[in-house]
Amino acid sequence: MNKQHFSIYTINMAILLLSCATMQAQNDSIPNKPKDSIRIQQKYGLRVGVDTGKIIRSFLDDDYTGFEVMADFRYSNRMYIAGELGIEEKNTVNDYLNVTTKGTYIKGGIDYNLYQNWLDMDNMVYTGFRLGASSFSHTLNSFQTYSTNQYWAPQLTSDASQDFNGLTAVWLELIVGIKAEIFKNLYLGLNVQLKALVTEKVPANFENIYIPGFNKTYDSSAIGAGYGYSISYRIPLYKKEKIVAPVN
Amino acid sequence: MKYLKPLLIATFFLVAFFVISCERDDICPESTQTTPKLVIQAYDAAVQENRKNIFGLRIQGIDNDNVLEGYNIITEDDLVLPLRTDATTTQYSLRKDTSINNNGTPEDASDDFFNGNEDIITITYTTEQVYVSRACGYKTIFNNVSLTIEPDSDNWILSRQTTSDNQTLENEQAALFNIYH
Repeated sequence: MNKQHFSIYTINMAILLLSCATMQAQNDSIPNKPKDSIRIQQKYGLRVGVDTGKIIRSFLDDDYTGFEVMADFRYSNRMYIAGELGIEEKNTVNDYLNVTTKGTYIKGGIDYNLYQNWLDMDNMVYTGFRLGASSFSHTLNSFQTYSTNQYWAPQLTSDASQDFNGLTAVWLELIVGIKAEIFKNLYLGLNVQLKALVTEKVPANFENIYIPGFNKTYDSSAIGAGYGYSISYRIPLYKKEKIVAPVN
Repeated sequence: MKYLKPLLIATFFLVAFFVISCERDDICPESTQTTPKLVIQAYDAAVQENRKNIFGLRIQGIDNDNVLEGYNIITEDDLVLPLRTDATTTQYSLRKDTSINNNGTPEDASDDFFNGNEDIITITYTTEQVYVSRACGYKTIFNNVSLTIEPDSDNWILSRQTTSDNQTLENEQAALFNIYH
């Protein structure tokens, strides 16, 4: 593929040089011909993929199960409309709490490619934003009362499971990442996400210690973080011609 | 120059990422109000406005093998008693003018017993679990707390008084009961 374009490029360059040479020989009274340029075909399409990081973590981490599908659609040269859809189940266990969080989430937004590709290569170093929403529930499997005094140890332990259903959360995300075309139309990507919780439905006598898609919440702030590894395939739909200014 | 912008953004993300991942949310801070203890203040039975120290005070929970820490034969007019979170009754033995009788064997502590006047108090309540935070989990608060002095032939605690109508123990700053002796 690259070879083919290299030859087109070479031919174009040759034509360009020739035209320059002929132009020099021409009289100024003849209006200048528009400068020649390189025309390349850019592929536009729908890219669909899965988060491999979540799949691998589901196998390695006993307390986590998750699956995410993602898609982006090239809107313009640098702009992609992107979104993710996922399902997660996470156990949060410490000395005093044992909680299972289950839920689904959806994220949508824009990716902007900062990387100037060489000709029609199609890699991305991108930044973007997402609006995310999750619907989830917690099951408090067990807890032990916290007391600084252990004169009457052990403290009350409850094994009666308690459900907190119908919870929702909405957040905003900033993303930076890369996507590289490793084979024709097949991409590997990784990204990190910085999240800010906009609104959440807090259960009575409990809190959202984990939100699917948002990940772990923090006591001190509404900020969260996440990462993703992706493998995705571009379904090519159409091509658009892009004119690259000639190299001087 | 072309790469400067993405590089800056990536750096910003990395820093933010590490700040978040290094935050310790897993340790319950000592300053947090968790399960409260019951505070009882000792007053003079003769002049009821005056605080009065209990001399030689030794406190031990009934059904507990150990002396309550900090109350092993001391002089005090403030009692801070932890309540059982796994039951709705806690009993304490309050012994005043305590002295240790070593039973004629100073080397052997196992047959020692205590002299002094022992009164038994019974605290009854209902418990409620209140969520604190992910690190502290739940605390227990105590509702409908009442205190009775078990009558014996020689009670040194003459009476007790509740300090408020709402006998809910949610934080241990305020005393819930006064005892007079």
